[in-house]
Amino acid sequence: MKALLLDGSHAGDKALLSARTILSDELPAKGWTVEGVTLRDTKIAQCIGCFGCWVKTPGRCFMNDAGNDIARSMVRSDLLLLLTPVTFGGYSSELKKALDRVICIVLPFFARISGEVHHKPRYQRYPALVAIGSLPAVDEESEGIFRSLVSRNALNFFSPLHEVKMVYDWQIPDDILMTLKPVVEMRRSGNVAG
Amino acid sequence: MSRDNRVLLLIGSPKKAGSTSESLGDYLLGSLGNKGFETEKIQVVQALRTPEGISELLWATDTADILLLVFPLYVDSLHSGVIRALELIACHRAELKQRRRQKLVAISNSGFPEAHHSEVALAICRRFAGQAGFDWAGGLALGGGEAIAGIPLDKAGGRARFARQALDMVADALEKGMPVPQEAVELMGRPFIPKWMYIWFGSMGWKRLAKKNGVLHDLQCRPFE
Repeated sequence: MKALLLDGSHAGDKALLSARTILSDELPAKGWTVEGVTLRDTKIAQCIGCFGCWVKTPGRCFMNDAGNDIARSMVRSDLLLLLTPVTFGGYSSELKKALDRVICIVLPFFARISGEVHHKPRYQRYPALVAIGSLPAVDEESEGIFRSLVSRNALNFFSPLHEVKMVYDWQIPDDILMTLKPVVEMRRSGNVAG
Repeated sequence: MSRDNRVLLLIGSPKKAGSTSESLGDYLLGSLGNKGFETEKIQVVQALRTPEGISELLWATDTADILLLVFPLYVDSLHSGVIRALELIACHRAELKQRRRQKLVAISNSGFPEAHHSEVALAICRRFAGQAGFDWAGGLALGGGEAIAGIPLDKAGGRARFARQALDMVADALEKGMPVPQEAVELMGRPFIPKWMYIWFGSMGWKRLAKKNGVLHDLQCRPFE
């Protein structure tokens, strides 16, 4: 079982640092191979909106940098872990820079899914999605938007299951471990409980 | 003039020019200019490339009475460059000792035929407004934006008729100091052709582009498998 961890945290985000440490320590003990990418230290060009990854070099971006590496790892993984400060209810710009570059993993063509129009899948399988968002304190409005965003991403990237976990600046590592326990114990075919 | 006077259009597309976001924004900005507003336009993603561009963005944001953020939907949200700009603006405004009342209007356009795909992105804009100290004046979402493809709205014929009507209503409302009317939101989200027809035209369009690039038979390839 392979997990791709995209760390979109700012330097000094203690809650997300704890979360990453816990996931990097605990998941391998459960049989996962974890590939971690610290996005603030990774050079990734911003998507320029050319749609070349659909109609010029189908399935890959012409900018051959870590953006393509992340897209490749994503479709070869069973689990995608996103770590991000919740930013106006969404992802940090660092995490979003990586996600903007993975539209090549779906097709430009549309299909109706549950009555709604979405892009068709390019691949036969996609990873489960777990997003871990950090906040200074409980913020119901931001958390609600964040959960909706992850749910929409899971729909558009054909994730077989998805889950959101929130961590807070004031939490100690043991609290964060309890929050992430269901993630650590998940199986590809199972659910993230708790 | 006692009303809001300065309008700043922030284009949130990574394209340097000719985006559908710019078509929508230019149309609204032109209407407001005709009503006597002072107008300014900044391409957000381009502005972030230099320190001078960032300074100009922050200064223009501080001095505008109304901000119009017009952007394409990007993975259910805004483009990373626009999020970076919002992070910078919020951080900058947190350091300001005094802030005037300023309004924010957001307009999203997506390639999906249903406008509601933009709901989360507009919620992010609304949350940004609340956290950065702007008055949220409303958000609109356009579906089927690929059909406009950067053509100026007044030359886009029937495919942009609802968008033009909606933006005219928004301009009238902003002139009166009112938020975006619900009728404008509904008009902007109204499909201009049936869903099946949009999907068919879209599919033909992608195939035509792929054929032009000599990759028609590779369109569905899986390079990362």
